[in-house]
Amino acid sequence: MKRVVINDAIGWWNRLLTLVRRGRRARDIDDEIAFHLAMRQADHERDGVAPEIARRIAARQFGNVTALKEQTRDMWTFPSFESLVQDLRYALRTLRRAPAFALVAVLVLAIGIGATTAMFSLVDTMLVRGLPYPEADRLVELIGNVQRASGVERRGNSYPDHLDWRARATSFDDMSAYTTLNTTLQGADEPERIPSEAVSPPYFKLFGVSPTHGREFRPEEDTVPNRDAVVILGDGLWRRRFGADPSIVNRTIQLNARTFTVIGIMPAGFTGVSDTAQLWIPFAMSGTPFDNRGSRGFQSLARLKPGATLAAARAELDTISRQLAAAYPQTNDKRGVEVSPLADIVLQQLRPIVVALMAAVTLVLLIACANVAGLLISRSDARQREIAVRTALGAGPCRLLRQLVTESCVLAMLGAVAGMAIAQVSLPSLIAASPVAFPTFVRPQLSLRVLAFGILIALVSGVMLGIAPMMHARLPRLGDALKTSSRGGSSGMRSQRLRSALVIGEVALAVVLLAGAGLMIRSIQKLAAIDPGFDAANVLMLNATIPRQAAPPGTTGAAAAAPAPFVSSHTDLLDRIRAVPGVEMASLGSDLPFGGASAIFYTAEGDTTVAAETMPRAYIHRITPEFFATLRIRLEAGRTFLPSEERADSPAVIVSHNVTRRFWPNQDPIGKRIKFGAPGSQNPWMTIVGVVDEVKYRGLPENPTQDPDLYLPYTDRATQGVVVRTRVEPSSLASAVRAAIRDGNASILTFNAQTLADVVAQQSSASRFTSWLLSVFAATAMVLSVIGLYGVMSYLVAQRTREFGIRLALGASRLEIVRRVLRDGTWRVAIGAAIGLAATTGLARLLAGLVYGVGTFDISALIAVATLVVVAIAACLVPAMRATRVDPAIVLRSE
Amino acid sequence: MIPKSFMGAQETRELLPGTLDMLILKVLSRGEMHGYGIVSAIQRASDDVLGVVEGALYPALHRLEVRGWVRAKWGTSDNNRRAKFYRLSALGRRALDEEAAYWNRVASAITRVMQSA
Repeated sequence: MKRVVINDAIGWWNRLLTLVRRGRRARDIDDEIAFHLAMRQADHERDGVAPEIARRIAARQFGNVTALKEQTRDMWTFPSFESLVQDLRYALRTLRRAPAFALVAVLVLAIGIGATTAMFSLVDTMLVRGLPYPEADRLVELIGNVQRASGVERRGNSYPDHLDWRARATSFDDMSAYTTLNTTLQGADEPERIPSEAVSPPYFKLFGVSPTHGREFRPEEDTVPNRDAVVILGDGLWRRRFGADPSIVNRTIQLNARTFTVIGIMPAGFTGVSDTAQLWIPFAMSGTPFDNRGSRGFQSLARLKPGATLAAARAELDTISRQLAAAYPQTNDKRGVEVSPLADIVLQQLRPIVVALMAAVTLVLLIACANVAGLLISRSDARQREIAVRTALGAGPCRLLRQLVTESCVLAMLGAVAGMAIAQVSLPSLIAASPVAFPTFVRPQLSLRVLAFGILIALVSGVMLGIAPMMHARLPRLGDALKTSSRGGSSGMRSQRLRSALVIGEVALAVVLLAGAGLMIRSIQKLAAIDPGFDAANVLMLNATIPRQAAPPGTTGAAAAAPAPFVSSHTDLLDRIRAVPGVEMASLGSDLPFGGASAIFYTAEGDTTVAAETMPRAYIHRITPEFFATLRIRLEAGRTFLPSEERADSPAVIVSHNVTRRFWPNQDPIGKRIKFGAPGSQNPWMTIVGVVDEVKYRGLPENPTQDPDLYLPYTDRATQGVVVRTRVEPSSLASAVRAAIRDGNASILTFNAQTLADVVAQQSSASRFTSWLLSVFAATAMVLSVIGLYGVMSYLVAQRTREFGIRLALGASRLEIVRRVLRDGTWRVAIGAAIGLAATTGLARLLAGLVYGVGTFDISALIAVATLVVVAIAACLVPAMRATRVDPAIVLRSE
Repeated sequence: MIPKSFMGAQETRELLPGTLDMLILKVLSRGEMHGYGIVSAIQRASDDVLGVVEGALYPALHRLEVRGWVRAKWGTSDNNRRAKFYRLSALGRRALDEEAAYWNRVASAITRVMQSA
């Protein structure tokens, strides 16, 4: 057995070598045989035979020289290679003779293969290849969480916790704290907002990147908060703002009104975990308190040691978390750590979309194949006689099958080439148009793997397509096909059944896709119908940072230690915005809707809850009095703030509905008191002056957690969220409002101007993107399946022309003929639709996480089916009408 | 005068199928040889009873070469002509042993049957 394998391997290798040097091999054989003949001739001549006769005798003894040479050469070639070339030539010739068929088939396959390949290249870059860092599969993110009554919530890490994890855990090579932030870069130009990251030193080592110029942060530069003002620039920023000048290293730049020393430049393409960072500062410069175990906000990045598993790391951190909870119950009770592969965190939102779309395009490909298979079957019916003749001339069934498979593979390959060209052109624009941000490393290209995938699916479809017509024709019995006239078609029944099955399958698949698209569209309608609790129309939002005044020269001591006043007060700022024509109302908030707020524990007077799972927690916002009016948030009870309450020590607080529902149901909440912290805390009591509705302030369709909101009076601060209600289209006022803000002082920076409506729309962008693409695929599927149905019905009508002629001659009405044809088409559609509907139940599971508020069986599925049925029956109507135009006289005469 | 070897060729009958490979291997087990030499050796050793259609040797030889049972290289013959010489490979030697053992079993069995009758 083993030797057979070895012999085979040697044989294939030798033949392969011969492919490259065919000419030499042939010459060698000629020489060898010539030598033999010469030797034999010489032998005879020695016996006294005349040379010419000796030559002839030698040749006769040898046998048929030409045939034997050929046989010898054949030993060196692959058994079927020569005939493959022959098949290919024949296939191309056949296709050229039927250009319409070839064009349609190639186009349909191009759609299927192109879409599948395009999606595969996304799957490949995102899910197979993963993040573009060395051994990226060992990069993990550590996110602190808390067990609340409502479930486990991500909350972020505190610095003391981070240090303990790093010191105690043995599963990691190293661990780095990082947080994303925006910095303001001052210079000759306008101040500019730079997306940045504050990171502790091993950060770059974890990613396996090092600076192209200068150095990384030293550990001692990350020990004391706000001491070491050093910065590493990203390649993009360095080129854009500093002319790619390497001597910037060791020079200083003005960042956040402070002098930072540039110590290094990162290589091009590195933008950190956030995928947007253009500069890095030490984590100690981030403002994170280093000594407060209860202040949580950042995340940690770590690299698993070789051999360490994710499960082991999780178990280890669970143990450490329990130790910390025991040691620091005040801050660490019920606190745990989520350890997730970095790729999971980065691709979280995109993965379900890509998977759903990949499934969708696979269905489209199947439909396309079924469609082309139908075409091929029709053609093979027409070719029965050709096939019979070829069989009569000695082609075996294997040879015939290979011929058909070669033909369909040629079709599929042409389709693949066209499809991949389409994919190549359309994919970048698709990604650019996507409202969901793809990571910058996702730059799908025609990689070798994608190419191989495209060719593979083309080959698989080609082989399946070639076998399909053989399935009904099988071994065409020679006599039958030759005897029957071109009209009859002996394999009619079987090919009809096969084609019906294909159409039914196509309809079923199309129903699944249509129902999927329907689910997504319904889900978007539901999302749009959500009342967020505010009125997003005609609202412009932007951020502004107001710097502090420079300290007058010579100030020392206590005066220098106290923060200098801001260059503009927030009331002046508001006055200037309100003066802009078209502005109806303006107000300020410490944060903007969907912009991120921080949560804090609080205690209602009289309540003693201390358990970590149920301790009252709320999100806090500082706002100016008109904030609720500007966003049209309903005031349920009491009043908004008074201008006189705009002080840091004001006891006034406005709470959202759920606070009063929890602590004072059926009581007047106005005048009740709450304070920050646990029941035992020394924080001052605050008095509730107003109650507002719950607002979907932090996320749509739902806030990430069901915590209420607390509103406090506004005070002067560096960063403001500006909310402007306009009388005109809000985006048209953006530049006027920005100018008005900067009018007060040129050092005020504005950024992130956008309409609230746009921000709300972004919240459902994943759903809208998916639904848009799914709709395109579903429409394609519907068109393809209807074309398939139309083809089958036309063919059936054409086959039954004679029958219809006789019926008409015998007095059948034209209406009756139409009804017959329609009935034929309708039952196929009905069966397909029923199968498709049954399959849609699995769909909702696939789309879970992408749909909102839609059950497994939605009315949209029925609408999808109804649409398809109507269109399909309309497609049957055309051949049906053709059937009625049959002239009985002509049909009968041709008998 | 009609050459003896030509007469022999006329009288021979077809070889048993599959035996040509074995004969070639057997002849080559004695040493390196070119195609013409192999034919001559078979004819000589069998007193021309097993005269093969000479040309049939070449497809068989090349089949063995493709399979790796014999190796070939070009050299110079006794009369100073360029000729292709074949020799047995290790694989071929093993194959010959197996074929020969099988042949001997079959041949003695046939002989026994023919004598007993």
